[in-house]
Amino acid sequence: MSASSVHLRRTPAPPRRELDGSTRARRIATRVTGYAVLVIFALIFIYPFIIQLGNTFKTEPNAAADPLSPIPHPFTDASFLRIFDGTDFPRWMLNSVFITILVTLGRVFFDSLAGYALARLHFRGRKALFAGVIAVMAVPGVVLLIPKFLVLNQLGLYDSYTALILPTIIDAAGIFIMKQSFEMVPHEMEEAARIDGAGIFRTYWSVVLPMVRPAVLTLTILSFQGSWNEFPQTLVAVQSPQYFTLPRGVANLVSGSLGAGTQYPLKLGAALLATIPVAILFMVFQRYFVRGANEGGVKG
Amino acid sequence: MTTTSNDPSGPLGAGGTGTPRQRSAASALELRVPVRRWAGPRGADGPAPRRRPNRIYGRQGIAGWTFVAPAIVILGVFLLLPILMALFVSFTNWSGVGSPFSSSTPLVGASNYTHLFTVDGLAREDFMTSIRNNFYYVLLVVPLQTVLALALALVVNGRLLRGKGFFRTAFYFPSVTSSVAISVVFLFMFSNSGAVNALLNFFGIHGPQWFSDPRGVLQIILGGLGIVDPNNPPAALANSHFLSLSTWDWIAGPSVAMCAIITLVVWTTSGTFMLMFLAGLQNLPIELDEASMLDGATRWQRLRYVTLPQLKPTLFLVITLGLIGTWQVFDQIYVMSQGNPAKTTLTPAFLSYRTAFKDFNYGSGAAISFVLFLIIVLMTLLQRWVMRDRDKPPGGRRWFGRRPTSPPIEEQIPVPALAAAIERSRLP
Amino acid sequence: MTRRLRRGGLALAAVALVLASAACGSGFNKNSSTTQKAGPANLQVLIASSGQAETDAVKQAAAAFASSTGNTVTVNPAQDIGQQLGQAFAGGNPPDLFYVDASRFADYASIGALYPYGSKVPDANDFYQSLRQTFTFQGQLYCIPKDFSTLALEINTDLWAKAKLTDADIPTTWDQLVTVSKKLKAAGITPLATADTRDRLGAFVVENGGWWANKDDTQATADSPQNLQALQFVQMLLKQGLAVYPKQVDAGWGGEAFGKGKTAMAMEGNWIRGAMTSDYPNIKYEVKPLPAGPAGQGTLSFTQCWGISAKSKFKDQAVKFVEYMTAKAQQLTFAKAFGVMPSRQSAKADYLQQFPDDAAFIDGAQYAQGPLTVAKVDSVLADFDSQLGSLTTNGSPQAILQKLQTNLSAALKG
Repeated sequence: MSASSVHLRRTPAPPRRELDGSTRARRIATRVTGYAVLVIFALIFIYPFIIQLGNTFKTEPNAAADPLSPIPHPFTDASFLRIFDGTDFPRWMLNSVFITILVTLGRVFFDSLAGYALARLHFRGRKALFAGVIAVMAVPGVVLLIPKFLVLNQLGLYDSYTALILPTIIDAAGIFIMKQSFEMVPHEMEEAARIDGAGIFRTYWSVVLPMVRPAVLTLTILSFQGSWNEFPQTLVAVQSPQYFTLPRGVANLVSGSLGAGTQYPLKLGAALLATIPVAILFMVFQRYFVRGANEGGVKG
Repeated sequence: MTTTSNDPSGPLGAGGTGTPRQRSAASALELRVPVRRWAGPRGADGPAPRRRPNRIYGRQGIAGWTFVAPAIVILGVFLLLPILMALFVSFTNWSGVGSPFSSSTPLVGASNYTHLFTVDGLAREDFMTSIRNNFYYVLLVVPLQTVLALALALVVNGRLLRGKGFFRTAFYFPSVTSSVAISVVFLFMFSNSGAVNALLNFFGIHGPQWFSDPRGVLQIILGGLGIVDPNNPPAALANSHFLSLSTWDWIAGPSVAMCAIITLVVWTTSGTFMLMFLAGLQNLPIELDEASMLDGATRWQRLRYVTLPQLKPTLFLVITLGLIGTWQVFDQIYVMSQGNPAKTTLTPAFLSYRTAFKDFNYGSGAAISFVLFLIIVLMTLLQRWVMRDRDKPPGGRRWFGRRPTSPPIEEQIPVPALAAAIERSRLP
Repeated sequence: MTRRLRRGGLALAAVALVLASAACGSGFNKNSSTTQKAGPANLQVLIASSGQAETDAVKQAAAAFASSTGNTVTVNPAQDIGQQLGQAFAGGNPPDLFYVDASRFADYASIGALYPYGSKVPDANDFYQSLRQTFTFQGQLYCIPKDFSTLALEINTDLWAKAKLTDADIPTTWDQLVTVSKKLKAAGITPLATADTRDRLGAFVVENGGWWANKDDTQATADSPQNLQALQFVQMLLKQGLAVYPKQVDAGWGGEAFGKGKTAMAMEGNWIRGAMTSDYPNIKYEVKPLPAGPAGQGTLSFTQCWGISAKSKFKDQAVKFVEYMTAKAQQLTFAKAFGVMPSRQSAKADYLQQFPDDAAFIDGAQYAQGPLTVAKVDSVLADFDSQLGSLTTNGSPQAILQKLQTNLSAALKG
């Protein structure tokens, strides 16, 4: 359900009685105040990003002296030159792209496969499995840090791309979303396909899956965003800088690998570049994000 | 939320305790309702499939297990197995050399746990400090983000508002960005000569040195009111100890540094919760609101007696999500403060990480993880208990699904389970 | 949860266990020693850099080594070397070479993470005896000290002149330090940058005749009256605004506060040279010995060694790398680049000739106190450090030292 369609569903405002002048003036005043408050709040939510953008192009003394101003004075792109020259930023970027694409593809494929089986196929243990998926979702991620390290270590996967990708390539929440959306699809379609002699995978792949395209898109976007922003997992999966992703690299920049100095313009710039892909994705697919969050409330 | 949409109660009558139907809707929280909405008239467990001949059932069995096999393998190996391994390690003194499962790893029984609770020492002090810090963090973040999100949702939901899309985007955008990137921005904003202090300066306030100020806010307030001298707290507070911390330390409140982190978190999560409230608001029957408006109820009365009672399920969901998420704060601590200054931003999650990977004390680190796990489970149970209590039919006991007939699986899903999953994928 | 949930969980757990037992065989390389590889090596080097100057210098030297020997060397500056190494040791693939700080040396050696190569270096005796002693564990010299440093007092001569102070005002005692700081403060200049860590404030303790433990590190002496007096003196400086922690002036460390001209004095080691040259070339400054306390002169010394991982596949090549990096000429290059002092005695004369201004640092070696080198005290000292930050506000020196005494006693016993 796209939230943008909502006000259309609403009935128009209730019929108004005739208003005298002072009441109308008061109403207008209230509305103006309301808008002002709203705009101030919007500023609070947006201004940090504007500050970030502005300070990225400042010199360090300028950033320290005048942090509030969005306009750099003097304007310099020195921090970007240093990001690309003095740090491993391009490498982090490539790693992030590579890992995010694989994880997203994996999640969409495997989550929907499992979701389909749990929603539509009838086999012994299905309910127990679904209960298992739910139980797994209840495990808070942050307590899994040491456990994940132990298992990656034990399997000899620690410090490799596999360690970054494999543990996150399927997530229970995604299975849950997909199961719920498959259940919305009418049974007739499948039965028709089966009568035509299509196998189970074929039915799933070319008949049912296309029917839940919005859910697939939502899952794709959630997975992309989740994987792109993933941080704690990288802490316990890899240690060599060659495997660093953007969040890990930026975190590394922040607390000291630059050596001396605060160097805020550089750090803000790196953080900005790390934010841009998700920001673009958000602008383009906003309604799927919104849908994700609303489903988020119930996750499916 | 169709179950309540045609509720015939009067405009103001719906307040207070709520009608039975509302209460049952609340009990299932969002879960049961949306599942129905999605499943439509033909749910997954519709009658047709059950009458299928065994032949198909068998074929589907093979396909079904094949389809879920990758999920079982990955979730088993990278979720369940590690938990068991860590549970074992929490009973050892593994220092990080060799395999923790070899016979040379010293088994120490429950000592890693007892050192957190019953043995006075640095381990317990650190752990209790982290619990205290996180407690104050939860105490502030959960109410603040809930109220802010609700307020934003109410405003953005206003019928006459122009530019809804813009405001919704503005409020929600921080939620989708990377926790690391946003922490960097806030680190800059809260630096001593950063934007926040510049702004305070504009109003003639000399801002604190945020990330190097370990003073507790309550201590500062007590000092400011002249009740207690923070530099020389009364012996009754400073010398009485409970679980390795003095009473003075326990009542410190969040430190100034922690307040900066609290601001960041409230700012980033409110957008997500605002959308949840929006979804809830959009499912409310508009007639009720209109009726009460014609009855001459004020804006506040409508909110208090009409809207809020109906939003209760969403409210509970948001609070539960908040309770679970706030006990897991890690990324921001790692990037912004590493537990400093003076350990006032140390949280159990970060302490567990640090104990294991920096002090080579993997057993103790794992033990802290499990205690944290337990805390989160307790939060879950607490929430369940609150919900169950409200929903208890007279005379019957409904606790953990102990009912004569088992409800559909969807109804048994603990909401916090979902919440945790969403936390992981959505919140910074 | 319901019975069903539990059954599901059990089923998954069982599956997982089966999988795990199948996979375990391929996992840990249990007790077998690492096979050595001859020929061109790919050496991974992890350093805890004091700044861009050091990172650049080490990278340059490593590249020179690589091109002259045909090996490949990758130098990575660590974010938090303790955390990173800890994880790497447990993960079984630590970098081949890494800095080992004296304070963590005993921890690493005691868990068998270090390869003891002291005996393989032919002229090991050229390194200062006290530094070799620091890196000796159970009678074996584990690693070669790469350099050492001591703390001294840096003075910004421009700010000094701005406050109308002369050379005669350069403080040589605590009393003079207070007097001159008050003058600076009156002139609107923040006097001294120190840091909220034992590695700076410890110098005051030494100057007052105290220390955290007795001479052979077997008993804690943290709650001695000398220590208390020293910390009370520090707190007085901080509270009166005569000294600041770097964070208070938005700097990452004392050198940055000093280099940006935010304070007139800093209490840093010789590493400040490198940072000043590369980051703040316009600041004019002098280096003087730290002012003497009631018990006479005192300072702290620091050293790090080149640790070689016990798991490295290229131990021989790694030893060659260490020899290259600690050769006399190379040490003098590093000294020039980022201001460390050569750990070789044979380099001392050249060093003094090249850096006559650094006499204060080198002289400090005579009365300097080295760090505690006992396993498992790091978390105790880290806790102590975390308390020191509160000296600016409501921290009680007595309570802080009492706590250190308790925790340190416990750590030294066990």
